Amino acid sequence: MKFDVVIIGGGKSGTLAAYKLARAGKRCAVVSAGHCLGKTFRREFIALGGTFLNGDRVTGGNVEGGRVQYVRTENLGENTVLEAGHFILCTGKFFSRGLISTIANIYEPVFGCDVLYAQDRSEWTVDDFFAKQPFENFGLRVDDSSRVYVGGNVISNLYAAGEILAGEVDIEQSVEKVCRNII
Amino acid sequence: MAESSSFDVIIIGGGITGVGTARDCALRGLKVLLLEKADLTNGASGRNHGLLHSGARYAVTDMESAAECIRENRIIRQIASNCVEQTEGLFITLPQDDLQYQALFVERCREAGIDAREIDPAMARAMEPSVNPSLIGAVKVPDASVDPFRLASANALDAANHGAQIRTYCEVLSLLKDSGAVVGVRYFDRKKKETLCAYAPVTVNAAGIWGQTIAAMAGCEIKMLPAKGSLLVFGHRVNKMVINRCRKPSNADILVPGDVVCVIGTTSDKVGLDECDNIKVTPAEVELLLREGCSLAPELENTRILRAYAGVRPLVASDDDPTGRSTSRGIVLLDHETRDGVPGFISITGGKLTSYRLMAEQTANLVCRKLGVNRKCLTATEPLPGSEKHSNPDRELSIAFKAAEGRHGSLTGKMDFSQKSEVLCECEHVTRAEIAYAVKTLGVRNMIDLRRRTRVGMGTCQGSFCIKKVAEALACELGCPEMEQEFIREYVQERWKGMTPVCWGDSLREAEYMRKQIGRNINDEI
Repeated sequence: MKFDVVIIGGGKSGTLAAYKLARAGKRCAVVSAGHCLGKTFRREFIALGGTFLNGDRVTGGNVEGGRVQYVRTENLGENTVLEAGHFILCTGKFFSRGLISTIANIYEPVFGCDVLYAQDRSEWTVDDFFAKQPFENFGLRVDDSSRVYVGGNVISNLYAAGEILAGEVDIEQSVEKVCRNII
Repeated sequence: MAESSSFDVIIIGGGITGVGTARDCALRGLKVLLLEKADLTNGASGRNHGLLHSGARYAVTDMESAAECIRENRIIRQIASNCVEQTEGLFITLPQDDLQYQALFVERCREAGIDAREIDPAMARAMEPSVNPSLIGAVKVPDASVDPFRLASANALDAANHGAQIRTYCEVLSLLKDSGAVVGVRYFDRKKKETLCAYAPVTVNAAGIWGQTIAAMAGCEIKMLPAKGSLLVFGHRVNKMVINRCRKPSNADILVPGDVVCVIGTTSDKVGLDECDNIKVTPAEVELLLREGCSLAPELENTRILRAYAGVRPLVASDDDPTGRSTSRGIVLLDHETRDGVPGFISITGGKLTSYRLMAEQTANLVCRKLGVNRKCLTATEPLPGSEKHSNPDRELSIAFKAAEGRHGSLTGKMDFSQKSEVLCECEHVTRAEIAYAVKTLGVRNMIDLRRRTRVGMGTCQGSFCIKKVAEALACELGCPEMEQEFIREYVQERWKGMTPVCWGDSLREAEYMRKQIGRNINDEI
């Protein structure tokens, strides 16, 4: 299946991006694991003819020549891939499993994107629960066009938006920025 | 001084030894005052495995402690049935361990009077499916799990029922002396913000690791050797029996099931006395506990860690060893009149949770001897409140009632289930009725007190879902609705201390969720 844009993650930022791009005439697919917030944008996106794969999960992607060629999902299986000109990662942070933390490290599970985080686990939190926690600012490293890195190299058609980004994030602005680059 | 401030005996410390001694003395008809600087079980009594030792762990290295444990184990099963889960225990030998140790272990257990039975590894796997399947030897022993909060609370309640005054949040400032003898204490009531004096012919120092400081107030020297022990709590009850490693006692070789969770521990590291009020679990300790825990029950590797905590064992340097190198795990009862020439002052320390009743008995015996009172100890046979045999009227009981009954035994009948049956903490099935009861009868003043007595928020959600409802109910029952936000803040901050050392994987996911649910909302409201 071929699309203009495949959006990975159907939460607030994913559905918002899908809606905006669909409105701009892009043919989009959203793969949503199912912790779906943002039901309004989802409804509008579907009404605009968008493809919403609910309860599905991207298992991996094919990156060649610095570009994502396609991704596979759990439900579509081995024989069907989602191809697109652009891909957007909107899988959120830890709770939504956009980032995975282990006793030793933190990684992004779909593409292995570069994550900005403190190497020393004792620096992930601070003693005061009510203070901003360092782990809340961990996330993906992106370039000026919101494109992610893998192994230090930019992936030219893979963007990130929403909470998965490192630092303080304004969700709407981050989505707006990615959409501008794609449209 | 007012009549109410004069007693037969003053006990300093609301750990299990202190409340046990208060109960023993009160049952013998003495007029008792117990002073605790925080809540009951704030020290080592509330920061351990919750293991009712069979004594097997000590059989090879310390026969006396082993024999003491098995005798007390049998008594506590009888007198505190609602605090004890009769889980039984396994001592397993793994391929890297010496199987010959097992034969010695079994022989010594039998000498100590512990019913230790060698069983086939295949049988052990069937009895305890979570056990490391590669085990090459197994011994079944009568270990059990015990809830130290409930046990202390039941002792305090019974002491109070027999006239004792149990005052929590009262910190001793100094000992009052007259002609060289200790005749009373001066203390600060942290809730009422006032300084008071109380007098008694005998004062008992049962302050655990803080006992060195109390003794110093009387001019007596006790050398405490604080040893920190860290533990991890897992979010599921992976094992149903206590699993021990059959080898010379070492780090992290006991996995104890309790209520809906299980606990692996402990480490052992010397710490300074000044660190005891604020000890932290280090990343290296967490890694050690996890590694050793997985070798007892491999499933732990895939089980969410709820939190880490640490206690400080009140180990004492032997009196005959001035270097302070040799310590005792046995009971240390010091009569400062004969030891230091300070009449009216006794210290009780050392020992363990399992032997608390015996420690209390020995202390109360000495108190009575000093007072010239000749009454027998009743604590070995008198059941604690809640443990009396009881039967429920022939009606269908809710799960919440049964959960409360598991915690409070026969006292559950005193809870108002007709009006307040709403379940507030769903992990542990704690109702508004149980909270009202804890406020009315068990001296609960804040969320942490409430947690210790009801297990509220101690399950898998660690309060994320229920904390607001519970804080609202507690503030309402205490008649101070303005405290609700402060209760939430205090509770979450305390849970957070246990979560930070294990904040990765699912625990980090939970932390992110808690921050969104509670952290930001509270900050917005304040």
